[in-house]
Amino acid sequence: MFSMKETIEQAADLDPVVEAYKKDIDVTLIRENLRLTVDQRFQQLMKLQQFAEDLRRAGRKARKK
Amino acid sequence: MTDFNALLRILTENNVEFIIVGGAAATALGSARLTFDLDIVYKRSRENIERIVSALQPITPYLRGAPPGLPFSWDVQTVERGLNFTLITTLGPLDILGEITGGGSYDQLRPESITVEIAGTECLCLNLEQLIQVKRAAGRPKDLEVIAELQRIRDESH
Repeated sequence: MFSMKETIEQAADLDPVVEAYKKDIDVTLIRENLRLTVDQRFQQLMKLQQFAEDLRRAGRKARKK
Repeated sequence: MTDFNALLRILTENNVEFIIVGGAAATALGSARLTFDLDIVYKRSRENIERIVSALQPITPYLRGAPPGLPFSWDVQTVERGLNFTLITTLGPLDILGEITGGGSYDQLRPESITVEIAGTECLCLNLEQLIQVKRAAGRPKDLEVIAELQRIRDESH
């Protein structure tokens, strides 16, 4: 038995575009993240930013050659 | 790279009343997506504006994407006259928002927030349901994929 609030929330969730995207979400990454503390999630985000920046720099360097 | 830890520490050490929203809030809640800026909703009281102006002064906030040399002065009057500011600082990009679509002001969002601990400091962060609602209200195509991930996080959290 669902409450009125839950029913409204579920109806609002049913956007066909969102549903289509949901199929491609890597749930294993989410599970890994949910095992971490919030602090660890931010440390990971900053490492990822650094990695993205390193990749960009390497790309720029390669294009100059 | 954005130093989220240092930005949050500066805000909390200066007793700024704020709530983490946007991509950083999604990270706090378990998102695996990469975000580059810190978005916060700040309380629009005179005292809090004074605190945020003073807190950010040492990291030289400037309008992100604006050409250098504009007559932009980071002071209480500037913040009082404006509402939402997309800034670049020496610690990275920072968006300070007086209000957000679908969520409103700090006072409206405060009951929809949770306390999280980051780098030894306690901060308020928008809760998952409210973040989904805000993303939905924003109505931007790029947010649809974010909503999908947030809904998956909700499914996994149950």
